Amino acid sequence: MVTNNDISVTLGPVTFKNPVFIASGICGYGEEYSPLVPIEELGAVVTKTITVRSRLGNPPPRIHEVPTGALNSIGLENVGLEAYIRDKLPLLRDKRVGVIVSIAAEFEEEFVEVADKLAPLDGYKGLELNLSCPNVEEEALDHGRNPEFVERITRIVKERVPDRALLVKITPNVTDIGEVAKAAEAGGADGISAINTVVGVDFDLETGKPIFHRGSGGYSGPGILPIALQKVWEISRAVSIPIVGMGGISSVDDARKFFIAGATAIQVGTSLWVDPELTKNIIAALHEHPEYLGTGTAE
Amino acid sequence: MTFTNIIQNNARPGHYECTVIENRALSRRYYLLVLSRPREMTNPEPGTFVHLLVPDANRFYLRRPFSVLDCDDETISLLIVEKGEGTRIMRRIEKGRPIDIVGPLGSTFPKVPGKRVLALGGGVGLAPLYYYGVRREAKDCETYRLLYGARSREDLFVDGFDWALDGVSFSTDDGSHGFQGNIVEFAQHEFEQSQVDVIFSCGPNPMLKAAAEFADRVGVPHYVSLENRMACALGACRSCVVLTRNGAIRYRTVCNDGPVFDARELVWKELPQA
Ligand SMILES: Cc1cc2nc3c(=O)[nH]c(=O)nc-3n(C[C@H](O)[C@H](O)[C@H](O)COP(=O)(O)OP(=O)(O)OC[C@H]3O[C@@H](n4cnc5c(N)ncnc54)[C@H](O)[C@@H]3O)c2cc1C
Ligand SMILES: Cc1cc2nc3c(=O)[nH]c(=O)nc-3n(C[C@H](O)[C@H](O)[C@H](O)COP(=O)(O)O)c2cc1C
Ligand code: FES
Repeated sequence: MVTNNDISVTLGPVTFKNPVFIASGICGYGEEYSPLVPIEELGAVVTKTITVRSRLGNPPPRIHEVPTGALNSIGLENVGLEAYIRDKLPLLRDKRVGVIVSIAAEFEEEFVEVADKLAPLDGYKGLELNLSCPNVEEEALDHGRNPEFVERITRIVKERVPDRALLVKITPNVTDIGEVAKAAEAGGADGISAINTVVGVDFDLETGKPIFHRGSGGYSGPGILPIALQKVWEISRAVSIPIVGMGGISSVDDARKFFIAGATAIQVGTSLWVDPELTKNIIAALHEHPEYLGTGTAE
Repeated sequence: MTFTNIIQNNARPGHYECTVIENRALSRRYYLLVLSRPREMTNPEPGTFVHLLVPDANRFYLRRPFSVLDCDDETISLLIVEKGEGTRIMRRIEKGRPIDIVGPLGSTFPKVPGKRVLALGGGVGLAPLYYYGVRREAKDCETYRLLYGARSREDLFVDGFDWALDGVSFSTDDGSHGFQGNIVEFAQHEFEQSQVDVIFSCGPNPMLKAAAEFADRVGVPHYVSLENRMACALGACRSCVVLTRNGAIRYRTVCNDGPVFDARELVWKELPQA
């Protein structure tokens, strides 16, 4: 029996009906996954990261399986801001789906442009700044390593979208993730999303070369769970704003561990490809056991 | 002449648990996997595939895509070649065991009523073309000739299939059965014997590329079914893209825009030839 306890969560100015989201890059612009996942039942879908101009992305191969997960090298292929606003955002508007728009940019002016263009629109509840994509040429798209930049950009965007939840997604590929999280908090973020993929590589034994043209890729899936829990735990001791935890979740129990580590909400990624019922099962378990949410920070 | 507008993806996929009805070796590397067909599953069109979870897995596996070989009210059949870890495990799965699938997925070979079709299946590439042949689609064609090529006699499985199509012919690289030579040489030979309006092909990339060059040379529309590494199989993650040229150059997904493409839209030199 499913009990309907209130499991809504609040991130800054916005409330989501439950704390279970799909991670950026997994379900496209949202609609693509609707044949398998009833997306209106989710707390939110985080859409594929968009940039001001469309991006072709990296040449294939783009996905590589390993026994503990997958490496990907998509390279932020996306339709660009204008086409997103025109063609993709309206698709979900009438469906009562919680949408969080993921954005990335190279320069401050581009962040300003994206925020200004999105600010007056409806059809989404939050923004997630992807400051942590490991799969692109441009160093500047990976500025999650620079705390001053993180703080400045967070402030600039938050000023423009004060009525939305602003999440800052940070990279695990830094020595002190707490520093970067603190910078986002100082800039006015409503929450920290962590983690993005872990940099990884695999080699083809026949050619002696990396599988991907770009060499390294982003590692995700069950194998990164302990790394993700560690990072969320560290962040929870560094900041007091909510954390949206992700990385390797493939079961209800995995999700529970993020709440123990200090997360307020979670995102499911790679494992959804394998188990399309995963978000549904986590939501059902939380309805039945809302106490899973309130376990707070483990010392 | 072009049928591009009728390459469509109308599949309405679902997530189902099936049961293994039969799992039978056909040759050294090939086997036939027959699954119970979920009642709610929509009718898979020729060219579509299912995304199958490797059963009894004790590690992480992405789902594996397999074309539909045949389907009736009760069953859905797949033709599988043992390739790596996943297809090795699946080969051993016993009758009565559950298998988790998502499907049907992807685009279909176009319906071409009144046309004379030459279909080239290399290895497991036979599956969608056999399915087209046994379905009504082929009966609407003027003729549907299926050429099926393999390396040698051991890789061909002639028994247990309903070859009551307009005409099926075999080729082997070593000449141990049927025409001696590769399947595109065979196609060329057939082309000289009888009229062809449309070519379909499915098989390894080097074969498809050779078929595309042949179709171009003789000026016949050509539709191919491609393979690629997949993750979501819903057109969401952009893992499975190939470069296409239809006006603009852009990446399209094999899982959702394909697997069936108009061969003239593909940028062949960018497809891996391994
Ligand atoms: C649309 C489509 C239809 C297909 N139809 C059939 C079919 O009817 N019969 C059949 O035997 N095979 C078919 N294949 C190929 C089949 O999916 C692969 O042979 C299979 O995934 C290999 O899995 P493995 O674990 O044995 O190999 P491994 O090499 O261990 O697999 C490692 C990873 O690579 C992927 N992979 C490896 N080879 C391929 C490939 N050729 N295509 C896509 N992914 C691959 C696997 O899915 C897995 O993620 C089809 C592929 C596609 C895309
Ligand atoms: C194919 C793929 C594409 C991704 N694309 C994005 C992206 O565009 N933006 C982003 O912020 N994260 C992206 N991610 C990272 C995920 O959102 C998530 O942070 C990561 O995969 C860890 O979670 P998981 O182990 O549950 O997959 C992508 C991940 C994968 C596997
Ligand atoms: S596998 Fe995800 S887009 Fe094709």
